[in-house]
Amino acid sequence: MRQALIQTDLIRVLGLWRARRGWLLGGAAMAVLAALAGVALLALAGRGVSEGLRSGALTGAAVGSLLLLRPLMALRPGARYLERLVTHSATFRALADTRIWFFRRLAERLPAGLGLRGAGDLLGRLVSDVEALDGLYLRALVPGAAAIAVVLAVSVLLGAAGPALAAIVALPLALALLLPPLLAPGAARAAARVAKARGGLRAAAVDPLLGLEDTLAANAEPRAAARLEEAGRALAETQDRLSRRSAWGGASGGLLAQAALLGALGYGLAGGPGAVGATIIGLFLALAAGEVLAALPRAGTALAAAGASARRLFDAADTPAPVAEPASPAEAPRGHALRAEGVRFAWAPDRAPVFEDLSFELPEGGRLALLGPSGAGKSTLASLLLKLAAPQEGRLTLGGVDLAALPADAVRARIACLTQDARLFDDSIAANLRLAAPEADDAALWRALERAGVADVVRALPEGLGTRCGEGGARFSGGQGRRLALARALLAPADILILDEPGAGLDPSAERAFLETLESATEGRSVILIAHRLLGVERPTRILRLVGGRALPAMG
Amino acid sequence: MSKPPPAEAARARALLSATARSGRARLARPILLGLASIACGIAQAWLIATVLATLLGHGTAGWAELAGAASLALLSIALGVAQEAAQADAGAAARAGLRRRAFARLLRAGPADERPVGERATLVVDRIEALDGYFSRWLPAAALAVAGPLLIAIAVAAEDPLSGLILFVAGAMVPVGMAVTGIGAALASRQQFDALQALSGRFLDRMRGLPQLVLFRRQEAEAEALAAAADELRRRTMRVLRVAFLSGLVLEVIFAAVLGCLAWRHGNLLVGGHPAPQAALFCLLMVPGFFAPLRAFSAAYHERMAANGAAAALAPLLEGPDEEEGLQLAEIPPSVVVTFEHVALTYDPARGPALTDLTFRVLPGEALVLAGPSGSGKSSVLRLLMGFHAPDGGRIALNGRDATTLRPAELRRLSAYVGQKAHLFRASIRENILLARPDATPAEVEAAARAAHVAEFAAALPQGLDTLVGEGGFGLSGGQAQRVAIARAFLRNAPLVLLDEPTAHLDPGTEAQVLDSLRRLCAGRTAIIATHSPALRARFSRVLELEQGRATLSRMAGE
Repeated sequence: MRQALIQTDLIRVLGLWRARRGWLLGGAAMAVLAALAGVALLALAGRGVSEGLRSGALTGAAVGSLLLLRPLMALRPGARYLERLVTHSATFRALADTRIWFFRRLAERLPAGLGLRGAGDLLGRLVSDVEALDGLYLRALVPGAAAIAVVLAVSVLLGAAGPALAAIVALPLALALLLPPLLAPGAARAAARVAKARGGLRAAAVDPLLGLEDTLAANAEPRAAARLEEAGRALAETQDRLSRRSAWGGASGGLLAQAALLGALGYGLAGGPGAVGATIIGLFLALAAGEVLAALPRAGTALAAAGASARRLFDAADTPAPVAEPASPAEAPRGHALRAEGVRFAWAPDRAPVFEDLSFELPEGGRLALLGPSGAGKSTLASLLLKLAAPQEGRLTLGGVDLAALPADAVRARIACLTQDARLFDDSIAANLRLAAPEADDAALWRALERAGVADVVRALPEGLGTRCGEGGARFSGGQGRRLALARALLAPADILILDEPGAGLDPSAERAFLETLESATEGRSVILIAHRLLGVERPTRILRLVGGRALPAMG
Repeated sequence: MSKPPPAEAARARALLSATARSGRARLARPILLGLASIACGIAQAWLIATVLATLLGHGTAGWAELAGAASLALLSIALGVAQEAAQADAGAAARAGLRRRAFARLLRAGPADERPVGERATLVVDRIEALDGYFSRWLPAAALAVAGPLLIAIAVAAEDPLSGLILFVAGAMVPVGMAVTGIGAALASRQQFDALQALSGRFLDRMRGLPQLVLFRRQEAEAEALAAAADELRRRTMRVLRVAFLSGLVLEVIFAAVLGCLAWRHGNLLVGGHPAPQAALFCLLMVPGFFAPLRAFSAAYHERMAANGAAAALAPLLEGPDEEEGLQLAEIPPSVVVTFEHVALTYDPARGPALTDLTFRVLPGEALVLAGPSGSGKSSVLRLLMGFHAPDGGRIALNGRDATTLRPAELRRLSAYVGQKAHLFRASIRENILLARPDATPAEVEAAARAAHVAEFAAALPQGLDTLVGEGGFGLSGGQAQRVAIARAFLRNAPLVLLDEPTAHLDPGTEAQVLDSLRRLCAGRTAIIATHSPALRARFSRVLELEQGRATLSRMAGE
């Protein structure tokens, strides 16, 4: 990664944190105060004892220095404590803002989710990327501010004593300040290689697990294990290189601090008795500054890591929205008859089109069954109707108005959908259902549960509607979760209901039972039922079969 | 993630300490290097103190001592670099060992482990990576936080016993102070860690379900709810941190107090003319070094927290012996007679039995078709023969010998298996076929490819059989993938053929082609085929109808 790119990304992150400026600057100010107090503490203690030793008595400069120690002994821990509190509070605020910004951004740019954007848990990765941005502030900016303040203070104090000594001590320390930006690009490259090797390791773990039956059937466990081991070794090698880099970064920081310390001592040896007073201050200042600067080379790694996280976040956040909002939206239509006219759609220019010339009509209150083998594009039609994608040719109309002229929000208010991957949230059943209708009362929730055939299950739970669903509905079996999602879709106050494979995951008798009541459950709304076959109990008003990108009328 | 319950936490700790014990030799190296580096620091401080004392008019040290201090500085830095390398190495070794074991367990559990693949892969990849800090940073930091300050205090005591005592007392007060202030800063920081985990868990949950929120137009409401939750959590966390950071405050107060005590101690000695000026300076110079390992320790503390969570997730997987039980096969018999006698199988008592009192026998050269609605137990029969599960009752015999005495992996050596959806691994078609028998010759692979009609479609691909398929490779259709799986079965040339709905996802035209290959595959072998497909049933003579885990009807062709 180029340095300029890291910089741009990190500056953009700081832009996102603008509203928290006061807290962030306050934390850095506290860090500066604590670092200066620490330097002063050590320098005064050293000076007091040394001056005492020089004069052989506790007088003058010695007493002055030692007396000053007392307030500093209280100031330094207090400032450190406040620094940690304020910087952490600032980080929490800044990260909360970033999280919300990112969430809104993805809702706008990737409303259909991340989909197939690369294997592995990209979403989990992105969430931890947001958290990793704390390193930019806590491990790079705050120690950096403290170090700059210390180096400045050392230069000013020693500059007064003698410019030569100031140069000998402050120059190496100032050079240490340059380490983080110098080390960051290399660390970023090394970190990118680690990330790539980690992807390789994940692939080596996922591939045999995805084909677990085939792996076991072929007695290929040892080969899969060997491949994983090899990928693990490759990862360890890249990690080793990264940690070596960071170790050498630390070593160069240590070297510069030692150069300042020993330089001060050498200045004293060369300068004779006249230089002793300045030497003592220089020596103890260098010793104290070394401690503050020790954290600095790691700041380079922190910068690189934050840069990489920021890059991934912005990559996802800057995805162009799949469907642009209309510049001058049309008024929402009264009716809700649906019509497709010569729709052509492909997910990407280089992929085969899903629809070539799709046309159909769904009058108000009609029930359309859309059939076809998997991969024929049944779910793609739902995406087009919900404005998660837009046709390349032809048009879709709702109540006679082109969907392209309507805001996505207005369309989704009229069309509700039970998607194939309808997910339950780790929240109560009631909260999950009320996603579809925030104002619905408990009676309405029970009606929807009843229609979806899952009311008995919920009634039997000790906490009833208040039962938490667990992550992704883990509390329930696949069929129960599916029916809860169905209840949620039925609850939505929309004119048109798209049910994408409502029977998936249900046992055959439950599926049949629901489809038999489809007509009453949907209360006269328009329904698009997506399935790969009909059971014969659905009573649709129209049946279309998707073949080769066209919808052909079919017999039940 | 919520706080792990005590039993789980104990298992996590047991896993971590067992792993640390087995990697003891590697883990000791960074600690010894760290101590050596600290020893260099002590010697260097002593030389600097000598030079400084000379400057102040006590002693005769000069450039030679300064050069000595400089070389010791270099040595100490080099040792520090070596220590970091040794730490990384110890962490990598510990992770590699755990990863090998965890992956072996996942493979051994087979399809019986019903967690999603992503979750299982997370265990072998992310969870184990999260343990790195524990072995590479926390353990050395913890050891050095005890040994390092002790070494320094002893060195200081040798120069000036009272100063040494001050350091001893200070060192002893650090853990006491930490314990008192936090009633465990540990507890507080664990709560903080858990709370943050909970927040990012919630964030991730909502992000995963983002399409649902968008479709129900709740994204804005949820964004506000997330902001409110983060705010509330920050308030709570900050309350905890106010206490947790007291332990850091303790360290700082002790640091300042030590410095103050030493300054006054040596200041007071001056009144009578300091007896050992060089010692006074040495004591002061050692103060930052004394606290450095303690600071490193508190910086590494969160590594331990992170590792506990990961270890708690891993511990259940890694429990029990590593070696699998069961007998090994001496050699693969040329033919197999499969006998089921009153076999029963229940996966989950809540869901009822999968198989009840199932009895049948299949002879070499015979093909038995298992028919029946989904959930009737067809696949369960195959799973038993693949060793993915063991029967709960009755007996499965192969050539008269109890199949359950064999190791599951050995049991699978007897059979060739084709499932509903063949998985193509990320490799060439040739390697995908070769999976079934890695020592096969190219001619054998090509023969298998011809027999399964793979050769026909492969000829049209850019690199023929060497075309890369699987993730990121050339996309094959379901029918083509299925033919690759059949080619595997041909190449495997096992006496038992197990087919689980091999044509379930194929259109009728493709099915007809695949059926032809399947028939030839079964010829002369013992075959068991689970299927819905009427076309497949029509090709084979013996059919066993299953319903709710029971055999309801058995017939021969033409009956």
